[in-house]
Amino acid sequence: MALTTQRVDVPVIVDESKCLEKCTACIEVCPLDVLVKNPETGKAYMKYDECWFCLPCEKECPTNAITVQIPFLLR
Amino acid sequence: MDTQWMKTDVLVIGGGTAGTMAAIKAKQANPDGEVLILEKANIRRSGAIAMGMDGVNTAVIPGNSTPEQYVREITISNDGILNQKAVYQTGKLGFEVIQELESWGVKFQKDAQGNYDLKQVHRVGKYVLPMPEGKDLKQILTRQVKRHKAKVTNRVMATRVLVRNGRAIGAVGFDVRTGDFVVIQAKAVILCTGACGRLGLPASGYLYGTYENPTNAGDGYSMAYHAGAELTNIECFQINPLMKDYNGPACAYVASPFGAYTANAEGHRFISCDYWSGQMMLEIWKELNSGKGPIQLKMTHLDKDTISEIESILWSNERPSRGRFHEGRGENYRTDGVEMNISEIGLCSGHSASGVWVNEKAETTVPGLYAAGDMASVPHNYMIGAFVFGRLAGTNAVDYIEGLDHLEPDPDVLEVEKQRISAPLNNPNGVPHTQVEYKLRRLVNDYLQPPKVDHKMEIGLRNFVRYHESLEIMSARDPHELMRCMEVHFIRDCAEMAARASLYRRESRWGLYHYRLDYPEKNNEEWFCHVNLKKNESGEMVLFKRPVEPYVVDVDIEREVYDVAVR
Amino acid sequence: MSADTELNEWLEMLRAPDVSERLVAIKMLQHLGDEDALDPLIAALQDESSAVQKLAVTALWELANPKAVPALVECLASTDEGIREEVLSALGELVTPDHLLLLLDALHRDDANMQLNVLILLRKIHDAQSLPYVLPFFESENPELREAAVTTLRYLNQVERCQEAITLMSDPDKNVRRSAALTLGHLADAEVISSLCQALTTDADWQVRRNAAKSLALHADSTAVPSLETALADEHWQVRKFALQALQKTPAEQTLPALVKTLADEYSDVRRDAAIALGILKSPIALNALQQSLDDPDKDVCIYAQRAIQNIHESTPETSNA
Repeated sequence: MALTTQRVDVPVIVDESKCLEKCTACIEVCPLDVLVKNPETGKAYMKYDECWFCLPCEKECPTNAITVQIPFLLR
Repeated sequence: MDTQWMKTDVLVIGGGTAGTMAAIKAKQANPDGEVLILEKANIRRSGAIAMGMDGVNTAVIPGNSTPEQYVREITISNDGILNQKAVYQTGKLGFEVIQELESWGVKFQKDAQGNYDLKQVHRVGKYVLPMPEGKDLKQILTRQVKRHKAKVTNRVMATRVLVRNGRAIGAVGFDVRTGDFVVIQAKAVILCTGACGRLGLPASGYLYGTYENPTNAGDGYSMAYHAGAELTNIECFQINPLMKDYNGPACAYVASPFGAYTANAEGHRFISCDYWSGQMMLEIWKELNSGKGPIQLKMTHLDKDTISEIESILWSNERPSRGRFHEGRGENYRTDGVEMNISEIGLCSGHSASGVWVNEKAETTVPGLYAAGDMASVPHNYMIGAFVFGRLAGTNAVDYIEGLDHLEPDPDVLEVEKQRISAPLNNPNGVPHTQVEYKLRRLVNDYLQPPKVDHKMEIGLRNFVRYHESLEIMSARDPHELMRCMEVHFIRDCAEMAARASLYRRESRWGLYHYRLDYPEKNNEEWFCHVNLKKNESGEMVLFKRPVEPYVVDVDIEREVYDVAVR
Repeated sequence: MSADTELNEWLEMLRAPDVSERLVAIKMLQHLGDEDALDPLIAALQDESSAVQKLAVTALWELANPKAVPALVECLASTDEGIREEVLSALGELVTPDHLLLLLDALHRDDANMQLNVLILLRKIHDAQSLPYVLPFFESENPELREAAVTTLRYLNQVERCQEAITLMSDPDKNVRRSAALTLGHLADAEVISSLCQALTTDADWQVRRNAAKSLALHADSTAVPSLETALADEHWQVRKFALQALQKTPAEQTLPALVKTLADEYSDVRRDAAIALGILKSPIALNALQQSLDDPDKDVCIYAQRAIQNIHESTPETSNA
């Protein structure tokens, strides 16, 4: 099967300067399990565009590093 | 794919509203028994009330209403098709649930004198109890699960219930992070996986922009079906009046005690009751098609202090991103109505009536298999009903397993399921699951969205049956994507059930939920019955009528019909 | 990793000099929800970082162990607004009647934030013993404290008389008067009705007038009818609406012309309550006006007008034959 990579605007934005390497709070609480750590930087990012814009990641972040936007298609 | 084995006495699949309560009650019934909650997310934030709840819809509080009145109201609003004994349980046990939740720290709205501050939203009777501080409901339940020493396994998704000798003996699934194949042996299984909220495609086109928590993909509907259990009234869809695009509830029931109401574009009320029902949805559908739409939740006539109060409740509970949705569009309740629209279809007994058939003990038709919450067939059950049936399932499952031993699963069954689960991973360059899901749900919209039309539904059914071919070419590149793939399997099963059941019931009922243009009238002579379906011995989906059990609360459904508008 | 080792690892990290380590540790302890972390979490309420303090409050809230309540009460006076909000929410869930003395004691603290928050928490306990501790705040120079105190009074069960609350109906601050007007709905002092009537007809703030109407509906006292009738011409629709609801409790023939007039009000909620009031009054004189309301663009008004007409017919059978 021929596949292509498509760019999408993702709702969850992580401020890497604030994200703590040892912390996994946002990853643990996401109901859709869309956040992961970048193994190279130790910072969290949204890997899968499957967001319910429900906000636990933002609320649980101890350093307020996360901002959740309404997905572009709904905005 | 490595295999992990687990063993427990009672297995609860899904750690949301019903599941956490089922586990707690099973532990209370037998503290020495082992209880395991299997959750594909994390129980801190999972299920329909992941972000809390701003109120209770079915509070039968002594001195305000009685279980009999409640059963009458639900009988009428569900056009007479229900198992009254099951609905009676919600009326009877709901108050104990509220008291127990309070003892755990959940706050319900009370007046200054400390009495429950009930609101009338239903046509008659006060059953709505606000919870302005309900945002932490899920953490409170999680704390109680921990205190009762029920075990929790997060991030494992169940895919099939294991059945042997005609009884449920466990479940299989996989770890959505490691991809391990997981086999859990249990003496009883309680399904609490919520609604099928990912059936229709939202008008926004965003797969996860659903009303329900999108993790609720009809897992339990499908698993119960494959276990051989009966499902009922699947043709009674869930369709909600929602905020357009955002697809969250406008929460007229929260705002109406403050003076807000559902209005047409001219600002006038066109329905007299903000309680969600198929009949209400039909009125909305007609209004939208009359040229007086779009409809809106209107509060512009209210003062700024009242609006601030409404905002503080609506923006902290259930769907807290609502505030930023409006902000992004430059909308303000002081000057703008909340534009509302008819949602895509879903399956959910909590709001309508479709689900896995359960009796008043939360038993399905398969011994050892219980169901509770939005997937169990108790109509209009909402959150309190989920707690009540979680509770019944937990205690009755503990009674049932007395003296029972574990049964070894059939190795062939395990192997077949392992192959089915691993197929998308073995096909990494196949069609991405997102595209497979998008097309499936788009077909659901095309052919099943009411008003229902025979020819369209037949085409839809052919497409859903043929969709097995698309599932076979679906691909996953990691365990996370695999989770979504297996959810697409569940969605397909639900779509087929929805099409077949809708074609089977040749009448219209429940307002818009089952409005058939070919049979536009209700026909009590032929169709005053449940439409049940199950998988037969040869693996085919069979449908049949199941009589409505004699009422325990007298209601003359020929004369007392549900009407939310006067002409 | 066993549960104990995991707990100890985070507890150790909670003592780290680097604040970001402590933040991670307290977050993970919050998620872990282990009772053995109670004392270290209480100690973390004193952490030098306010972010750590706030998470300690959240973690203790989730543990819900009553042992943490005294330490949490101390945080009600925090200089950080975010912490005060979080701890107020937490204690709203955690305080029980057992904490009454602790709270009353804290009320003596010379700190406005502490006093304000404790006044709010006393509403969860509903205990009339608080009355002598609450009353002095009626004379506070801080209007927020006066408002909080008169609101709390409403929540104290068994308090039926409180002359001091009536005095607050002439408070210079409108928020105090708004709240006092609602509290008067639950008091039985002799002057309550006249005080509410005066507020209903003369107060400059419409919300005070509306709240007075709400309270008069609770009292259902027929001496208030003339004032309520006057209020049917109030410039704010919500005052008119709640005056109508009060009049539904004390139906009086003399109000008929004014009620009929409100049937044509600009606001549908007012029209609806006018129809309900006329249905209760059951005077055939209103029939013509109610007939016209059957064509109201608002569905609710039609429904209630129809019910009112039916009520009138049922109580005067001769007219239905006419």
